[in-house]
Amino acid sequence: MNALLAAPLAWVPFLHPLKLPPGARLWMVLPLVLCVAVVYRATRTRDARTLSKSTLTTFVNIMVGMVAIAIAFYAVHRAALWLF
Amino acid sequence: MARSEQTLGRMIRAGLLAWILPGLGHYTLGHRALGLVFFLGITIPYVVGLAIGGLKLSVNPWSNHWLFLAEMGAGGYTTVSLLVNRNVGALKPYELPDLSSVSPEQRSRILARMREHSEYLSFYPESDVAQIYLATAGLLNLLAILDALTRAQTGGLPTYYRELSTTSDAAGGGG
Repeated sequence: MNALLAAPLAWVPFLHPLKLPPGARLWMVLPLVLCVAVVYRATRTRDARTLSKSTLTTFVNIMVGMVAIAIAFYAVHRAALWLF
Repeated sequence: MARSEQTLGRMIRAGLLAWILPGLGHYTLGHRALGLVFFLGITIPYVVGLAIGGLKLSVNPWSNHWLFLAEMGAGGYTTVSLLVNRNVGALKPYELPDLSSVSPEQRSRILARMREHSEYLSFYPESDVAQIYLATAGLLNLLAILDALTRAQTGGLPTYYRELSTTSDAAGGGG
């Protein structure tokens, strides 16, 4: 019981790294791309009120582009396996 | 002459404040909502990266020079993180140099030290995710600093204001 209590109490944020849940690595791209889209669009706008729509468009554009690149690389990988 | 000096002073102040705290440069220029957007858009990935990677390896100029250079884009956060890294915990950042640049004897000594204090260290895949988040946050702040400099120079117009002025929609135009 004492060991169970001591483990979370001993954890210090930022000093002791967090563990990601299994399979979360790929999904971590979503919040990062959202932040990139927000900041990029904020550098191009005069008024923060117009940000939401353009940010969403940029977010979707980046994600579609990245998925397309992933599919293309997967196809090249499969083709290489099939040829050689 | 006095006007250009005033503009230069405003640019230096905005750039410096944006480097110390993301969004602060915009905030002091009067773009309060944009300042908040930059603050959240840069602070969130930085804090998430730091929490996942841990201070000891993630903000460490001895172990990863290039990552540290990218993180220095968010200079205030990185300086505070490095100071905390040096002064908190049993493992000092200079005890973790780049393993590819040390002799085999030093390498085994460093690895033993790392095993002794493995609770401070992040490993794959967490370390990868943390590095990407921290480097992105630092580089995004460079973008925000350049935007703050431009807005200080032009009196509030964004980086690509020439491009935007040719389109009808300032927010969505200009690709």
